[in-house]
Amino acid sequence: MTDTPYRDWEPVIGLEIHVQLNTKSKLFSAAPNRFGDEPNTNISIVCTGQPGSLPVLNKEAVRKAIQLGCAVQAEIPLFSKFDRKSYFYPDSPRNFQITQFDQPIIVGGSVPVEIDGHIKYFQLHHAHLEDDAGMLKHFSSFAGVDYNRAGLPLIEIVSEPCIHSPKEASAYAMAIKAIMQYLDASDCNMEEGSLRFDCNVSVRKKTEKGLRPKVEIKNLNSFYNMEIAIENEIRRQIRAYESHPNEHPKNVVKSGTFRFDPDRKENILMRQKEEADDYRYFPEPDLPPIVLTTSEIEEIRASLPELPFERLTRYRTQYQLPDNTAQLLVDDKRLADYFEEASSVYSQPKTIANWITVEFAGRFKESGKSLLDSGILAFHIGKLVELIETGKITGKIAKSVADDMVAHPGKDPEHIIKENPDYQPIDDTSSIEPLVDQVLAANPQSIADYKEGKKRAFDFLVGQVMKLCKGKASPAIVNELLNKKLQ
Amino acid sequence: MHRLPAHILRDLFCKGEISAEQIAETTLKRIQAHDHQIGAFLNLLSERTRHQALKLDEKRKKGGRLGKLAGVPIAIKDNMHIEGEITTCASKFLENYRAPYSATVTQLLEEEDALLIGKTNLDEFAMGSSTENSAYHKTKNPWDLSCTPGGSSGGSAAAVAARFCPLALGSDTGGSIRQPAAFCGIVGYKPTYGRVSRYGLVAFASSLDQIGPFSNYVADTALVMEVIGRHCKNDSTSLNIPQEPYSKNLSHSLEGALIGVPWRFLEELPEKSKQNFADSMETFKRLGATIIDIDLDILKYSVQIYYVLATAEASTNLARFDGIRYGKRSSRATTLDEVYDFSRQEGFGPEVKKRILLGTYVLSSGYKDAYYQKAQKVRTLMIKKFQEAFQQCQMIAIPTSPISTFPIGSIQDPLQMYLQDIFTIGANIAGLPAISIPSGFIEDKRPFGLQLIAPQLHDTKIFQFAHAFEMKTKYNQAIPPSFDDEVHS
Repeated sequence: MTDTPYRDWEPVIGLEIHVQLNTKSKLFSAAPNRFGDEPNTNISIVCTGQPGSLPVLNKEAVRKAIQLGCAVQAEIPLFSKFDRKSYFYPDSPRNFQITQFDQPIIVGGSVPVEIDGHIKYFQLHHAHLEDDAGMLKHFSSFAGVDYNRAGLPLIEIVSEPCIHSPKEASAYAMAIKAIMQYLDASDCNMEEGSLRFDCNVSVRKKTEKGLRPKVEIKNLNSFYNMEIAIENEIRRQIRAYESHPNEHPKNVVKSGTFRFDPDRKENILMRQKEEADDYRYFPEPDLPPIVLTTSEIEEIRASLPELPFERLTRYRTQYQLPDNTAQLLVDDKRLADYFEEASSVYSQPKTIANWITVEFAGRFKESGKSLLDSGILAFHIGKLVELIETGKITGKIAKSVADDMVAHPGKDPEHIIKENPDYQPIDDTSSIEPLVDQVLAANPQSIADYKEGKKRAFDFLVGQVMKLCKGKASPAIVNELLNKKLQ
Repeated sequence: MHRLPAHILRDLFCKGEISAEQIAETTLKRIQAHDHQIGAFLNLLSERTRHQALKLDEKRKKGGRLGKLAGVPIAIKDNMHIEGEITTCASKFLENYRAPYSATVTQLLEEEDALLIGKTNLDEFAMGSSTENSAYHKTKNPWDLSCTPGGSSGGSAAAVAARFCPLALGSDTGGSIRQPAAFCGIVGYKPTYGRVSRYGLVAFASSLDQIGPFSNYVADTALVMEVIGRHCKNDSTSLNIPQEPYSKNLSHSLEGALIGVPWRFLEELPEKSKQNFADSMETFKRLGATIIDIDLDILKYSVQIYYVLATAEASTNLARFDGIRYGKRSSRATTLDEVYDFSRQEGFGPEVKKRILLGTYVLSSGYKDAYYQKAQKVRTLMIKKFQEAFQQCQMIAIPTSPISTFPIGSIQDPLQMYLQDIFTIGANIAGLPAISIPSGFIEDKRPFGLQLIAPQLHDTKIFQFAHAFEMKTKYNQAIPPSFDDEVHS
C-alpha cells in the first residue's frame, strides 16, 4: 500500500468470523438445522437444556471443519477437545456454551486474497467449533426466547491482527465467505445470520511493534457497513491519540464493545470492559476429545472441490478474463457457476462474463435484484452470445433482446427474436444489396481509402449500411456483399 | 414374597405361580403400610404400576416374550427420568418438573417388563451422604429408625433393605450407592464408568456419576446389570462395547486369587470397623484367596480433590436451573437478574448452594490453576496408583465407610460429613467398578459394608468375588426385624 490516508498511523485489525455450518442437524443434537421456522419448533431436550440431557457430537460438522482446515492449509491437530464456557443469559439453554478454548480443531492457516494487483496472505490464528445461542425477541411487555438457533453448529474463524485497512478487512471477509461457499459448508447468508463478523480495531504508529488497546465492533451485517464501521473507529482512535499525545495509550483508548448502527452509520458504545470476563473454561466432561487420523484428514483433503483462489487463477489464465471481472465472478460461487453454465453453451468467456457482470448486472442495479434470482437462465445468456457471435443479430439488437429477457425472465432469446419482427435480421441478400449499392454510390472516398489499404474505411461502410437498415441487416451478409462489390 | 430375590420372583411370575397384579398389590400395600416409618419414597407410582402389571399379565396369557425382569418391582432414585412422571431430585426447584423423556435405564428396565413402582428420596441433587439434605423429608434407616440410611441414594437403599422391593436404582458420584448400601446392609454396585448410560440422569458431576443397582443378592445385581449395562448412543461417554452376561458367570472359585488391601491407609479406623474388616479378609482366605499389602496412600487426598472436581462440574451442570425454561421461577422476581437470583435462592437448599459456590470459586480466574488444575493432576496420579496396585492383585478390598450409620442430625460439621466418602471416592475418580456387600454388624443394629474394587471393565470379576463372599457368610439374608412380615390382603 502506498500513501495511506492515516499518515504515520497504522490500523491493526483482527476479524472473528462466525459461520453457521449447513449440516442437517445441530452440533450436539438431532434437532433440525433450519432457518425461518416458527419459534421453538426445531428444538430438543439438549438445546433447551433439560436436566439429564447430554450432547452428542455431529460428525458432519467435524468433517466440514476439517475441510476448511485443508482449504486454508492449516494445521489440523490429531487431538482437539471441547470446553465449557460459563455465562448466564436467557439465550443460553445451559448457561454454558460448549466451545473449544485452548485445543481447537484448526490451528493457523492462511487465506490468499488479491488486493490492488498483488496477493496478500492473511494469517489465521485458529478456527474452532462451538454451538450457537438462541434468539431473544423483545415484545412490548416481555421478552421471549426462541431456541431454534440454540445449538446450531458454528465455526469461529479468528484471524491474526494482520489486517491493516477497512478494504483489506472486507476483502479478507469476502474470501472466507467464498471459501465456505465453495466447500458447501455454509449458506453464508448475512441476512439470515449464517455469517457474522466481529472486528477488533486498534491503531499504532507505523514504527511501533507492540499492540495498543483494541476495541470490539459487533453487529456488522454487510461488508460495506463493516468498512464504514472500521474506518469510523480508526479515525476516532487516531483523533483520541493525537489530542492526548502525552498520555498512556490505555488511558486514551479504553477497551469496550461497540455496536454499528446501520441507519445512522455510527458506532455506538455498548459496554466498557474494565476487565476481561471470566468464563471459567474447563474441559467438557460429557464429550470425549476429537481424535483424528492422518488418513482421515488426507481423504478429506483429496476430495476438496476447486477453491475460490484456484478458480480465480483459472479464469485469468485459461479464460483470460480481466482481473476485476474474474474476482467479481469468483467471489460468489453461484455467480461463477452461472457463468460456467452459460459458457458451456457457447465458448466466448470474455463476452459472456461481460454480459453477466456489466450488461445484465447494470439492468438490475436499480431494482436491487440480482441476476441470479431473476429467473433468467444461464443457458439463455449463453444462447444470446451465440446469436451475436454467429452473426444472427447485431450487438445493438442484442441489447434490446436483453431488455426483453429482463422483462420476461425465463424467456428464450430465440423466441423473443422470433416474436419481434424488429429483431429479425434481414438476411435475404436481395433486400440488402440495394442498400449496399446506395452506400457505395454515396461514399466514393471511402472506397478509394479502402483500396489503399485503410481497413477502417470498410468498417465505416458497414456502419453506413446498418444505419440505412436500422441495424437489422445480417452483419454476415453485409460483410459478404461489400467484400464482393469492392473487389 | 418380600424375602424373595428378584430372579426367583421373576421365575415364579413367568411360570404363572404368581401374577403381576398380585406382585403389584402386595408391594404397594407393604409400602403403604410401612413407608411412613421410613420415608423411602417421594412418589409412589401406584397407577402406573397397576397398569403395567395388568398389561404384563395379559402378555403372559397371550404367550408373549417375557423380559429378564418380568414382574419385578423396582424403585428409582428421583434423579432419573420416567417420561410423564415428576422428577424432583429432592429439590424445591423441580417440584413440578414433569420429565419429557425417559432415562435410558428406565426405558431398558421397562423393556424387560420390570414394574417401576416409585421414585425414592435422595439428598438434594445427589449432594450429600445421609439423605438429610432432601428438601422434602428425611429417610430413616430400616435397621435403626433414629439413624440415617446413608446418602445420597438413601431412599433406594432403605426401600430394598426394608424389602419393599427386591431392586432399586441409585446413582453414585463419590459413594452415593455404596455407602447407603453399607449403612443398610444390602448390596450396592457402581459399574465401570461408562458401562451404564447417564442419559436421563440429572447430572451432578459428569465425569464421576454412574447409575447402579441396589439388591439383597449379588445374583440380582448381576441380572439388572445385564439389562442396563449397554452402549447408549445418546450418551457420548457410554462405552461402545457389547453387553456382558454377568449372571451366567457368577460361580467361580477364588482359589489362588490375589486381593490387595492398603493396610497402612486403614490404620486410623475405629477398632470395631477394623475388626469387622479383618474378619472379612479371613473369610476370603478361607475361600482360597491370598491377601497382599498394597500402597494406596494417595487416597488420603480423595475428599479434597473430589470437592474441587465434583463441585466444579456441578456448578456448571446446575447452571441450567435458572427459572427461565422450567422449574421454579420466583414470583418475587421483576427483572432478569432477579429471576436468576431469587429462583435459585428459593429453589436450592443450603448444601447445593454451598457446592455451587465452591465449584464456581475453584474454576475462577486466579484460582483455577491452584485448585481445579491441581486436582486434575492428582486425579491422574490416583488413576496411576490404582493401575500399579492392580499389577499386584486382581481385586482391592477396603471398608465401604469408616463407620456404620449414625443418628440423624448427629453430624453437623460439613467436613466431617464429607469424610464419610474417604473410601468410596477413589473408584469414582478412577472410573473403576466397585461394590459394597454386607459384612455383618458392628453394633447391635448397625450393618457394616465391605467394598471390593476392580480394574475397569472387570465387573464380572467383582460379581464373582462378591457372590462367593455372600454364599459363605449369608450376611445379606438378615432382614430388619420391624419390616420382616407379610402384609395380608
